[in-house]
Amino acid sequence: MQFRLEKRREPSKLMSYATPVAAVLLTMVLGAVIFSVIGYDGIGAVREIFLTPLTNSYKWQDLGVKAAPLIIIGVGLSIAYRANVWNIGAEGQYIVGGLAGTGIALLTWGMTGWWILPLMVLAGMLGGMAYASIPALLKTRLNVNEILTSLMLTYASVQLIYYLIRAPWKDPMGMGFPQTRLFSEAARLPTIIPGTIVHLGVPIAVLVGLVAWFIMSKSVFGYRMRVVGAAPHAARYGGFSENRTIWLAMLVSGGLAGLAGVLEVAGPFQRMVPGFPTNYGFTAIIVAFLGRLNPLGVIVAGVVLAITFVGGEVAQTTIGLPNAATGIFQAMMLFFLLAGDILIKYRLRRVMPQATAGTA
Amino acid sequence: MTISRRNFVKISGAAMALPLMGSSAFAQVEKIKIGFIYVGSINDNGYNYAHNQGRLYVEEKLGDKVETVFVENVPEGPDCERVIRELAQQGCNLIFATSFGFGDSLVKVAPQFPDVAFEHATGYMSGPNIGLYNARFYEGRAVCGTIAGHLSVTGKAGYIGSFPIPEVVMGINALALSGRRINPAFTVKPVYISTWNDPAKEADAARAMIDQGIDIIAQHTDGPAALQVAAERGIVGGFGQGADMSAFAPETQLTAIIDHWGPHYLASAEAVLAGTWAPGNTWEGLKEDVVQMGPYNAKVPADVVADAEKIKAGQIDGSFHIFTGPINDNTGAERVAAGVTMTDAELLSMDWYVEGVEQPA
Repeated sequence: MQFRLEKRREPSKLMSYATPVAAVLLTMVLGAVIFSVIGYDGIGAVREIFLTPLTNSYKWQDLGVKAAPLIIIGVGLSIAYRANVWNIGAEGQYIVGGLAGTGIALLTWGMTGWWILPLMVLAGMLGGMAYASIPALLKTRLNVNEILTSLMLTYASVQLIYYLIRAPWKDPMGMGFPQTRLFSEAARLPTIIPGTIVHLGVPIAVLVGLVAWFIMSKSVFGYRMRVVGAAPHAARYGGFSENRTIWLAMLVSGGLAGLAGVLEVAGPFQRMVPGFPTNYGFTAIIVAFLGRLNPLGVIVAGVVLAITFVGGEVAQTTIGLPNAATGIFQAMMLFFLLAGDILIKYRLRRVMPQATAGTA
Repeated sequence: MTISRRNFVKISGAAMALPLMGSSAFAQVEKIKIGFIYVGSINDNGYNYAHNQGRLYVEEKLGDKVETVFVENVPEGPDCERVIRELAQQGCNLIFATSFGFGDSLVKVAPQFPDVAFEHATGYMSGPNIGLYNARFYEGRAVCGTIAGHLSVTGKAGYIGSFPIPEVVMGINALALSGRRINPAFTVKPVYISTWNDPAKEADAARAMIDQGIDIIAQHTDGPAALQVAAERGIVGGFGQGADMSAFAPETQLTAIIDHWGPHYLASAEAVLAGTWAPGNTWEGLKEDVVQMGPYNAKVPADVVADAEKIKAGQIDGSFHIFTGPINDNTGAERVAAGVTMTDAELLSMDWYVEGVEQPA
């Protein structure tokens, strides 16, 4: 018995929904096997990583807080990737957004007023957009590959943090540690459920996902992004400017990454520290693809990735699984997803030996 | 027992009093569960490895009376907050947060768990249930600097630092002061790499400084990467940090500063078991055996070893303190007058470099 891949006449809708689910399930099965083989409690590992964060209600707040930035950045990336604009530097835009918000928080330090937080959020989004406009400009003017430039700018932004917190923004009370002072009350994101750590950024993330879904599926803007990505020639013929699309895609994804950055620094961090970059911008790439580049899917995918992070820590303490296991599970998920994507455009057909005799 | 009105009042009164009792005194426990939070991997063969050795030491000494858990590679930020809550919720009675950057998270979470004892390594923010502990690593640096002053041919040492915090600045200064006691032209060039553990960055910094003429390397980061580069390039030598790293560079490690946290961890665990734990602020060194020196390399001449041993012995019996004046800073201004020894408070807020240290970028 042999199998052959056969091109489908139309991409399979069923498969495009089924493969993300299959990728998660396959990861769980293969993960259990691999970790059993190398001497850990494999089934326990899968249970602790994927189920405990869901069944233990005490963990839900952590899931929300961890998923929020992933969702916000992932939604932006999904819009850009739909248009075939490959912004890989969301981490850098997230950082610059966080820095811009920090700048406002430090300028208004000691002041009170409802306007401080909205101003920080605005600054964060503008910061992210400004940083994303560098690769956009290079791409549209000089045709420089945006994958490369956006990625490299991430490393530059990390150095920008180090520069700012070591000299101009250093906390006068911090014993010399390179970090800014703690933001004053008006610059901190409020907690929305008393007694938990769930901050305003969590509902904002869900809202961003819903609004983006509505825009992408119901508006001309969304239509343009999808057409340019799916059929660039047709789009050009239809009068959609490619450069304008690149600009829009970079600004939207950069602005949302910046929003995530400012919410993160005003929420969980409440000051800028060297540990601010935690790879949310890179993890969000997995989130965007796992969510099928659909904002609603991204919300679910953000939660799934948050589960693996939170569960990974649980597994370390309960069954002694090494920290690297979390990364292995996340990578397997992306691998199976991308590998499974072939089933959207192709179908697996069983062929009888005699049928292939002529071609073999 | 039926719940009469009177009983109900009694029970609810007791229930209300419970949290108050918990916060005023730590109850005696039969069996202790200890949580450890590490910023890096327990396999870094340096700082985090040493903390984990301390954990194993407690396990060995207390046997069935203790259960330990640990979480490694915890970033210094909100992720740490979650890990601390996770450990406290899992029933740990005592939690050690072993890196400076965990302080913010500890201060936020500790008040939610008044019955849990927290201890923060190398930090400065204490609380009703947050104790502080640290080790006088600079004493080990003074021994290393003595060897460096004798052996360096170019008279230049490189120093890979993580962050310019007092703890690190103190180490750089101790190395420079002790080196200059032997060779007045001895200088130290610090480079900060903004991370505790990134072997690639550590190696790059080591290579760059070797190209600039240093022939001794010291580091305040968590792994043996710099020593390996030193071995590869064949410079005079370097020092292990946190643990004996001679296995990674047998020809190159001149000696090592070994963090021996075990006795401190054991003392805290026993205090929690006995119900006598209170937030302390300990800063122990060679004398208390919390800082140890590794074996001297065979290539270190006997007279140099003797000199190093003299510095070590002097710090143990209290006759020698590396931060005794006269000390000038690197702009030439006198900071400590002759015969005066800096206080612990002054050391713990040190943000200036002594003469002979190149001002880092």
